[in-house]
Amino acid sequence: MARAQSRDSLGARERSLDSAGVRRVVVWVAVLLTCLLLQSTVFAQIQLGGAKPDLIYKVTINLAYLEGPSSGALAGFAGGMAEDFLLNQPKGITALTLTLVGYGVGLLRQYIVSPSPLLPVFLVGGATTVGYLFFGLIRFLLGEPVGGPGYVVRVALLTGLYNAILTPLVFPIVRRAAESSRTRKVFRW
Amino acid sequence: MALSRRARSTRLLVITLVFISLMTITIDYRGGQSGPLELAGKGALTVVGPMQQAVAKIAHPIGAFFSGIVHIASLQSENRRLQDELRKLRTENTQAIGAIVENDQLRGLLGIKARLGLKGITSTVIAESLSNFEWSVTIDAGSSQGVKADEAVVSADGLVGHVTEVTPLWSKVTLILDPTSAVAGRLVDSGDTGLVVGNGDHDMSMQMVAPSAKVNPGEAVVTAGFRGGLYPAGILVGLVSHVAPAEGSLSKVVSIAPVVDFSSLQFVVVVTGTRPIPPPASPSPGASASSSPSAGASGG
Repeated sequence: MARAQSRDSLGARERSLDSAGVRRVVVWVAVLLTCLLLQSTVFAQIQLGGAKPDLIYKVTINLAYLEGPSSGALAGFAGGMAEDFLLNQPKGITALTLTLVGYGVGLLRQYIVSPSPLLPVFLVGGATTVGYLFFGLIRFLLGEPVGGPGYVVRVALLTGLYNAILTPLVFPIVRRAAESSRTRKVFRW
Repeated sequence: MALSRRARSTRLLVITLVFISLMTITIDYRGGQSGPLELAGKGALTVVGPMQQAVAKIAHPIGAFFSGIVHIASLQSENRRLQDELRKLRTENTQAIGAIVENDQLRGLLGIKARLGLKGITSTVIAESLSNFEWSVTIDAGSSQGVKADEAVVSADGLVGHVTEVTPLWSKVTLILDPTSAVAGRLVDSGDTGLVVGNGDHDMSMQMVAPSAKVNPGEAVVTAGFRGGLYPAGILVGLVSHVAPAEGSLSKVVSIAPVVDFSSLQFVVVVTGTRPIPPPASPSPGASASSSPSAGASGG
């Protein structure tokens, strides 16, 4: 009798975890889609010095910071693929870049123990810049350069700067979305 | 132990994702513009296009606002540059309009000279009378150009006045509006003559018109060209604007509105003489005698 009750309880818990997982996926798909739409509309207009903030990078890095390397890598891959396909860019390069950026930031987060509120700001700025440089390198290696080295470096630095500036605005929204989608079983990385 | 298993699975996940990305890059690179991924991208664009359009419609003002903020410095400098450009273009436009008007007036002058067989000196009006009781203009031609006192002055539209003062470089022209001016005029339709006297800012009056003369409003009045007079014959002076009743009077008084716009007078011709007008190559059947004044009327 007690055994049967225990089995029922475990089943209910599994169902609850499944529904939480689905909710999580739905929330992050919605977040990424919103970012893509905003990136191609509102943020497309805000260009300063030849560069504009990159929301997909920003959200990927924030998510990796909050959820760890596997979530970061998955979000980066999904966001990058979506960006490549929906914005009709060469396919796979953004996905590859953001997968590595998400994984790298999630991994780095495990080794940095700092309560400073500026940590996400610097992490977003630095990771965006590195990601853009990597993207530029891959495009160059594939024979489809996006511009000269000076141009790539300038755009990478400016995008990193703009993303860092936007962090105090965007990071709380991403954190709230992460918390609302999180299952009860939380792994702290 | 659990942690290391998790780290391993994460690494496996990342390797898988990287592998998929590399495969995607390779397929896309090899497929070119007609590859399967390109078609999938176009399909995705078709799906996301309307969503982008909807978001853009809502978010455009927000984006424009932020864009305005970030570009405020460059907008200010662009605004200054555009204002400078606008000023320059306005100046050029004004100059162009002035040139067109000037061209029209000069063509008109050539026309009247050819039509009436006039010889003369083309000059520019450089000043108007400062007095409230004198209607005259100053022109930039004087005795050094051959201008003499009492010579008639015409514009493209008609009679302007006559030269009253001459210096080597400029001359004063008394307008037909001046009360001291009197022009022997002829009504074109009836052929009756009279004396057109200036009346300042009001219409001129044509005096000494026979009481029996049939005068119609709107009828043209041209210079009569009497021998010994100042003005050659046939120059348009004005149009009849009003006819006063002649009951019990020895003459009829007719008001004449000048045809020349004296407020915008720019180019005039000082008539120094006349020349024979060559007969038209094929005279039209309706040509009237009054429209071709005789060449010998300069003494009128």
